[in-house]
Amino acid sequence: MDISSEKALWQFFVGGDLNAFSTLFKHFYPQLHNYGLRISNNQEIAEDCLQDFFIYLYEHRASLHHVRQIRSYLFVSYRRALIKKLQKQNLIQSLDEAKDAFIFSQEEIMLGEELSEQRSKILETTLNGLSPREREVIYLKYYSDLKTPEIKEVMNISYQSVLNTLQKAFSKLRNRLETAAIREVLKK
Amino acid sequence: MENNDQQLLQSFLNDPSFRNWVTKSNKNDILFWNNWILNHPEDIDTVDMAKSILLGISFKKSALDSKKLDETLATVLDRIEAKKVEKPSISRFETKKRYWQLGIAATVLAFIGILFLLNQNTEIVHKTGYGEIIELKLQDGTLVTLNGNSQISYDKKNSRDISLKGDAYFKVKPIPSTNAKFWVTTEDLRVEVYGTEFHVNTRDEKTNVLLDEGSVHLLLENGDSRKMVPGEFVSFARGQNLITHEKVNTELQYSSWKESTYIFNNIELSEVMKYVEQTYGIPFEFIDKELTLKTISGGIPNHDLKICLSAIEKSTGTRIVLKDKKLLILKEN
Repeated sequence: MDISSEKALWQFFVGGDLNAFSTLFKHFYPQLHNYGLRISNNQEIAEDCLQDFFIYLYEHRASLHHVRQIRSYLFVSYRRALIKKLQKQNLIQSLDEAKDAFIFSQEEIMLGEELSEQRSKILETTLNGLSPREREVIYLKYYSDLKTPEIKEVMNISYQSVLNTLQKAFSKLRNRLETAAIREVLKK
Repeated sequence: MENNDQQLLQSFLNDPSFRNWVTKSNKNDILFWNNWILNHPEDIDTVDMAKSILLGISFKKSALDSKKLDETLATVLDRIEAKKVEKPSISRFETKKRYWQLGIAATVLAFIGILFLLNQNTEIVHKTGYGEIIELKLQDGTLVTLNGNSQISYDKKNSRDISLKGDAYFKVKPIPSTNAKFWVTTEDLRVEVYGTEFHVNTRDEKTNVLLDEGSVHLLLENGDSRKMVPGEFVSFARGQNLITHEKVNTELQYSSWKESTYIFNNIELSEVMKYVEQTYGIPFEFIDKELTLKTISGGIPNHDLKICLSAIEKSTGTRIVLKDKKLLILKEN
């Protein structure tokens, strides 16, 4: 779905059209579902919260006609609702201390021409060595395909912080890959 | 990373021409950036970093089972229904009343809308500011890339008859069933098209047309007409009755700013600076007059004024300084 059809659907939904609501639900539920699982590591809470969130959207649709950045609005509102819920149940105080949020597994890293099994292992270790907030930037950018301004909105950080995180991740990655390559040579 | 590198990195990330190089999707951009890297070995790390960030990491995305998705949706819809019923009857009455009001409001709005449409001047105008490039899709599916400081306008009912001031690239959607033509009108001439890709520029008191694909027919302001085939260039100025009609290598000659890069083939610096002035609206002055004769061959990115100027500086061995809203061209120190 492109941005303009998202916008069109959103306006129909705000007008009370259940079909439009269902289409938006099918489009955004899977992305938000995965995002919620990453934040909470708790399927039940993430799913309950997401269903409540969609019901909230429907009930408050009349006040949502002003929403222009639909994707970031949904990510940011769901994130807020979920963290609130987790805090209520004393599961976390803040996202920063949720150490196991946004952990990546080697299996979900796509192997390409330039990415061998060994390299993807290094990639996994490097990514998981970042802080939870940094991992979230990587997740939103490359897993959820959010644009930098959208990430800015969702995480409430500056463009510069997004950029710094990406730089940090990739320079760590390059250092490790180089070290691994040197080790390979030495072994022989 | 140092501040300068930071800025360079950001400008790489925001430059469509650089992205084209990373994804290997445009020949001109590949040539340009390969060459740029050769001339800037000190920036190779920044280039490499920008490339890594743009290419990113590919993840296998876990898809949600569609059956489960449908079930969840059904649950949510049920819960929405249930909530509606739960509400006391007064509120339901109010809702009904509100629907009535909404209905009346909608009717009134529709009526006003019709009046508005009937009275309205139905001309649609798209205008760009200095340094801004926009891509438009017209009602008939035609794609227009409008360069900075340019304007197209057309009647709402017919997006296939366009007036142009400035600089635009057209990718016309052919309509084989009706063979509907497409027109672009400037002060100098009228281009008649079936379905094709071409570039029209009306700067400098004349109109230049460069045809990339298909065929077009030109009706000149003096009553003359010309037929063009791909790879041809026509320039015509009303009043002067001067027409240039020649074959060009579209990949290497004349400005092809549509990929955010000017391509110059042995063009004098004074000419190049005219392009910069027209795109960014900043006048220029040669402090060292002999520099006007320096020539440029190759691609100059034009998306970002800073990068554009730095590329011109590097390829001509000059220094360009912005002072009092004017670009001063000096000898390199």
